[in-house]
Amino acid sequence: MSGAAPALRVRRLRKAFGPVVAVDDVSLDAAPGEFVALLGPSGCGKSTLLRMVAGLVEPDGGEIVLAGLDITRVAVHRRNLGLVFQSYALFPHMTVFENVAFGLRRRGVGPPELGPRVERMLELVRLGPLGARYPRELSGGQQQRVALARALVTEPRVLLLDEPLSNLDALLRDEMRVELKRLQERLGITMIFVTHDQAEALVLSDRVVVMEAGRVEQIGRPEEVYRRPATAFVARFLGRANFLAGTVAESGPTGIVVALDGDRFQVVAVPRSGLGAGQRVHAVIRQEAIRLEPAEGAALRPNNFAATVVFHAFAGQTHHYVIQLADGRELEVATPGAAAPLARGAHTHVAWSPDDVILLPTGPAASGDAW
Amino acid sequence: MTAASVRTWLLRAWVTLVFGFLMLPVVVIALASFSRTSYLTVPPKGLTLAWFAKVLGDAEYVHAIVFSLLLALVATAGSVGAGVAASYALIRRRVAGAAGAAALLNAPLVFPGVVVGVALLQFYAMVHLNGTLVGLALAHMVITVPYVVRAVTASLQGIDPEIEHAARVLGASGPVAFFTVTLPLIRPGVVAGALFSFIVSFDNVPVSIFLLGAGQMTLPVKIFTAIEYGVDPSIAAISTMLIVITGLGLALAERWIGFHRFV
Amino acid sequence: MRSGSGWRLLAPALLLLAVAFVAPVGLMVPTSVRPYVPLVGITGGFTARHYTRLLTDSYYLEIIGRTLALGLSVTGSTLLLGYPVALFLARTRSRWRNWLTILVVFPLMLNLVVRTFGWIALLAQNGLVNQALQALGLVDGPVKLLFNFAGLLIGLTHIFLPFMVLVLIGAIQNIPRDVEDAARVLGASWGGAFLRVTLPLSAPGILSGSILVFVLTISALVTPRLLGGPTYQVMSTLIYDEFLQRLNWPAGSAQSLLLTAMVLTLIYLSGRLARRTGASA
Repeated sequence: MSGAAPALRVRRLRKAFGPVVAVDDVSLDAAPGEFVALLGPSGCGKSTLLRMVAGLVEPDGGEIVLAGLDITRVAVHRRNLGLVFQSYALFPHMTVFENVAFGLRRRGVGPPELGPRVERMLELVRLGPLGARYPRELSGGQQQRVALARALVTEPRVLLLDEPLSNLDALLRDEMRVELKRLQERLGITMIFVTHDQAEALVLSDRVVVMEAGRVEQIGRPEEVYRRPATAFVARFLGRANFLAGTVAESGPTGIVVALDGDRFQVVAVPRSGLGAGQRVHAVIRQEAIRLEPAEGAALRPNNFAATVVFHAFAGQTHHYVIQLADGRELEVATPGAAAPLARGAHTHVAWSPDDVILLPTGPAASGDAW
Repeated sequence: MTAASVRTWLLRAWVTLVFGFLMLPVVVIALASFSRTSYLTVPPKGLTLAWFAKVLGDAEYVHAIVFSLLLALVATAGSVGAGVAASYALIRRRVAGAAGAAALLNAPLVFPGVVVGVALLQFYAMVHLNGTLVGLALAHMVITVPYVVRAVTASLQGIDPEIEHAARVLGASGPVAFFTVTLPLIRPGVVAGALFSFIVSFDNVPVSIFLLGAGQMTLPVKIFTAIEYGVDPSIAAISTMLIVITGLGLALAERWIGFHRFV
Repeated sequence: MRSGSGWRLLAPALLLLAVAFVAPVGLMVPTSVRPYVPLVGITGGFTARHYTRLLTDSYYLEIIGRTLALGLSVTGSTLLLGYPVALFLARTRSRWRNWLTILVVFPLMLNLVVRTFGWIALLAQNGLVNQALQALGLVDGPVKLLFNFAGLLIGLTHIFLPFMVLVLIGAIQNIPRDVEDAARVLGASWGGAFLRVTLPLSAPGILSGSILVFVLTISALVTPRLLGGPTYQVMSTLIYDEFLQRLNWPAGSAQSLLLTAMVLTLIYLSGRLARRTGASA
């Protein structure tokens, strides 16, 4: 985190709906110009958190500070934030121009200034000639851009986005992600972006806040959260991975050796503190971290096991395999699509670097392998 | 002919017959209003517009028409105001006991009109409101508010609540958001509610007949008592005029706000 | 959402109903147990006579029975006449569909007195119906169709038919089209699909519509008064005369409360039934 004062600071925010605790003591900061993603499954509280920041939901406790000002009790229409809704919530009875002009009018911006500002914003989101149209005449992608323009034209300090890309089809989503990122960089505006799509969060954000059941599981840069997940939940949510249960056999300056359950195999990971011998762990290896190697040269790497291909599917950019180790364990592997495929029944070796082994402590009770 | 087309033909025939049944009295009155005879007869014997002239020249009828219009306007204004607010509160705000309030708001619809009339007759006697325009207007508001609430509720439920939220985040206070965004969007419901309200008030007999004071008369009550004393084509004439006005009003409502959605 | 403002918005409507609806009806209860002396007025004291008379005197029992019988028969006839129409309007793809719906609504918007008046013209001794029946040779002399049960049945059916049709249209529209198609594909004939799928699924609507028409019928005043005349009474016209002719407010109040109790009981029962069958009014 930089030394500059945060654009948005949330401290110990709480909200319960009856017996259900939607947001449980959440704190986070967003630096000026930062793109922060709130990532989590449905019901994790990310939308509620966002709406509390916007003022649409009253928090039960905690505080919200915007550029040094406490806005926790300030009315919605005085917070000067921008919010892009999942359903866009465009005003159906107003033209695109009027929709975008709405916020400016509320601030008393009159004719000489109003028109040009709206036009400039429409140009920025590439909707220039569509000012006179009505929302129902626009495509989903265009409506989304109107929603963006409407929220940005008032130059809010922070822009909040509540799953704005969910209603777009896959191709359009990818396009809009890029546009959104470019827009954010160009305007230098702080953005808080709620999504359940981990790919989206990783692509767009400077920092990811992973949430589950109202709590923050981890906050960090995309690479951090992906490569060094703090909990099993974060590991699973950020991408498919292989979970191998085992016990730490040795822990030293050269590396950590984990004996997998079944006593047949050992996995080597990079050294780290806090994990002593006897600690129960999951060794987590991501699908794309596993390489399929020919049998020759097998003995050279620490994590290298003989395997048979049990399943193969081609997905364009990747090959998906399920391979089986000698003890019956199955691993999911993803390799680049450009490589030649291996058929079912083929014998091969799987290998991965110690760098790619994520170790997550588990309780003293043994837990089975999980994907 | 296939079984399917026989069925279709039968269904259409039935529907036509039923529509005929529904329109029969309407047509009959319209025809009878032109008859030269001084009694009601269909088909009409001879054709004349004399009965229409008689009705429009009759001071009592004119007074009844004006009074009914005035009463309906006042009652509609009141019930639209109260009804829109109530509907908004029930749909967009969390209110304790909302179900009870909704049931109460709906009650006058199924309550026997005659009971409402006599209850108010007695109540107004106690509070000295009998025979007053205020009393009549309040009584009419009671029976018309449910229609406004239903129509506005139907409209409001079809609008994404986030639209209002968007307006608020963009800087509109509660009332501003309501008037610039919500109200234009529920306009069809408000208009339909107002239309129902106006018609129910204008046509009402069971409540009005008990509450009219000396010198006050509404059109339907006048026609009602006129029939009780004996019928002649002038009643048919005024009826025909009402039929035509109602028909036009309904056609306009359908054209303007798609009225069929609210029935 | 701020919770406080909801009550302020609800207040005008609720206040109106509390003061001009609930209170007056409630005040009828004490009135209904006061004695009434003709030519003198309401006196002090307590009597249950107004109620006991209603339930023991054959004159009143006949009126109550007639009212209920009318309710049942009008409900039946509107259901019979209206179901096919609702079926047609709910399923037709004709572009006149909206206007036809408006046509069904049109009589509802029309003045009740006017509509009933039309039936007087039609059902009179020398009215159109009798003229037609005699011309077709179906009867020898004019049939009495006014001031009796038949006249009220016909008139009230006409008045309340649109209500039944509208409720049924709503119910039938809620039945997804593919459910009927699924039944046909699975081998049901049109009649079979109708009896086993459409009809049962529209049962909640049939129930709502029936309760509505029944309640409206037993509450009706104008039509029974005009088509039944001053001597052929139903409960509402009885109340009318009790208040405006005989000036016996206590008796009238008792009769009103009895009618109200009948209506409320029906609504309550229908609500219970609706919840059990998963319907909505």
